[in-house]
Amino acid sequence: MNESVLMLTIMAAIGLGTGIVFATVGEILAERSGVLNLGVQGMMLVGAVMGFWATFETGSLWLGVLAAVVAGAAFSIIHAFNSVTLGVSQIVSGLALTIFGAGLAAFIGRAGANPLIGQPSRAVFQPIFPEGLAELPIVGPLIFGHDALVYLSWIVVAAASFYLFRTRPGLTVRAVGEDPASAEAAGVNVSTVRYVHVMVGGGLAGLGGAYFSLALVPSWQDNPITAAGWIAIALVILASWRPWRALWVAYLFGAAGRLNFTFQTLEINVPAALLAMLPFVLAIIAMIVLTSGKRARLLGAPAALGIPYYREER
Amino acid sequence: MTRRLIVEPRGLSPWWLKLLIPIGSVVAALILGALFLALTGNDWVEVYSKMVDAAFGSERGITETLVSATPLILTGVAAAIAFKMLVWNIGGEGQLIFGATTAAGVGIWLSSSTPPFVAITAVVLAGAVGGAFWASLSAVPKVYLGTNEIITTLMLNFIALNLMNYLVLGSFSPWRDPDATQFPQGRPIIENALIPQFRLRLDWGLFIAIAVAIIAWFVISKTRSGFEYRIVGDSFDAARYAGIKVPQKVLGTFLASGAAAGLAGSILVAGILGKMDPRSLDLGLGFIGIIVAALARLNPIAIIPVAILMGALNNAGPALQSIGVPAATVQILQGAILLFAVGGEFLILNRIRRPERPAEEAPADVEVSAA
Repeated sequence: MNESVLMLTIMAAIGLGTGIVFATVGEILAERSGVLNLGVQGMMLVGAVMGFWATFETGSLWLGVLAAVVAGAAFSIIHAFNSVTLGVSQIVSGLALTIFGAGLAAFIGRAGANPLIGQPSRAVFQPIFPEGLAELPIVGPLIFGHDALVYLSWIVVAAASFYLFRTRPGLTVRAVGEDPASAEAAGVNVSTVRYVHVMVGGGLAGLGGAYFSLALVPSWQDNPITAAGWIAIALVILASWRPWRALWVAYLFGAAGRLNFTFQTLEINVPAALLAMLPFVLAIIAMIVLTSGKRARLLGAPAALGIPYYREER
Repeated sequence: MTRRLIVEPRGLSPWWLKLLIPIGSVVAALILGALFLALTGNDWVEVYSKMVDAAFGSERGITETLVSATPLILTGVAAAIAFKMLVWNIGGEGQLIFGATTAAGVGIWLSSSTPPFVAITAVVLAGAVGGAFWASLSAVPKVYLGTNEIITTLMLNFIALNLMNYLVLGSFSPWRDPDATQFPQGRPIIENALIPQFRLRLDWGLFIAIAVAIIAWFVISKTRSGFEYRIVGDSFDAARYAGIKVPQKVLGTFLASGAAAGLAGSILVAGILGKMDPRSLDLGLGFIGIIVAALARLNPIAIIPVAILMGALNNAGPALQSIGVPAATVQILQGAILLFAVGGEFLILNRIRRPERPAEEAPADVEVSAA
């Protein structure tokens, strides 16, 4: 393969994958604490629109990011209340969050006399290093060619991985996701841990959404993230609940999304719609091969995932 | 002094509560929606009266509401029968689209001289078979390998959608109309396969959908097979001890669920669409079916009025744009209804009461109730 085509594909994969990385790591944290949240798509959309709106009003990208994180986290409280406090079906609650969030985002984008729809973003995330560095062969673009949020996503991945597997609070989270009754007996407040991690997950999903509306496709449309939230939910399993693997599988998905252009450049004729299908087909095959039955547990699926926990009366 | 309230599961929930909570969910969502509309500077009274008028204010409005409700009854039944057995089929979307694909395929392939009854039956059933097949791609790995069906059904939604787009928009397949050179669209199915319309655009597909809901209710509550189904839904272990073959029951339910969603696709193709039209089949009907099922508390008969309510909302959306209010208002209301309905399930399943307390603390009690 032509070297520059390969490099373009990798760079595009990172671009297309970064929003998904944030959301996937967020969902990993929520699921590690035992809460399945199918509302990622809704939380991302709420983050995308609030981030876009805040930047549109203030001109500041970082205020946009802040708004997206706060909006995503606040929105996720609905799911935390349903699944932790009430203990009702996490699956239906998450779907409701997605439908509600998609409606909210589309509404906010079209409301008012001067709606956001069709407007370009007032500011856009750009590569942060000087062009000279990014022009170094190979390592230049790969290491120095990105915008600030890409580097932030690497930090988030490293921090989440360190937190889950190298710190005491991380151990507590995993204990809550495995065996909440034992964790509670050891003095852990299961409800608090779950609330916090659902909200961190929501904040990261909001941030992921803002990556789309402020960096990747910086103008407002009803759904700038397409199916990224759903993909993130699948990637959690393919990444076997580990943040570093989430980074790689999200980039793989990004590359698959880019194949269309890559094949065009190489003058290989494959229909776009069939290529668009490929990532989903790969995800299903990988799911069946990697995670069926008992293998899911060996990979690291939290044992109490999706199961409401009721504190014993004392 | 505050005390923790005691939450305890109810054995049997009273019938009025099962009715009150879903109705309350709709009312609560409407109140939330009104607040939201008012906050964004809209006149909520005007918006709601416009919606009622668009959905029920004229013969055209009422028939269009029922047209919108028809596929929702079927995707609602699809979700309900699966969820009741804890089969998380959230692939109604993909099963509907693949059902539409097989139905359109048969409707195009049939000779145009096929008698109407035969042609309609063939096309409609082809959709059910297609939907069941699409569901089997998740059901078989789930039952025999233990693969999580939430993710596979979800992924298959996108695969079906892209497949449809490929067949109609991205290739010169038999599904694409060879005469449409400007904008690609689906090839019309033979005329004899079209379900007759009896009132404006409303066709007999509505009664097929209602019949499916009634049959689902009858099988679940009145037959031996339905009795076993309910046992499996209550507890896999109990069912196993009772000698019920749980894997076969789960597989059968999953396929029946897919067939119902596929029927929704074929009734659209043989009904109002007359062809495979990607833009009219990608409307989230499978997901709205999940709202319908949840609000109907998985009861197939209750699905019929709930689907009409959701159909009314869907039908009202475009009318809102004429008064400058985003059609997404409808989606917000639907999402809010589902959130309240799923949260309300807590009140149906649990009783909340104050802890009983020793007599000497009685004065505190007076203070609390006075405040």
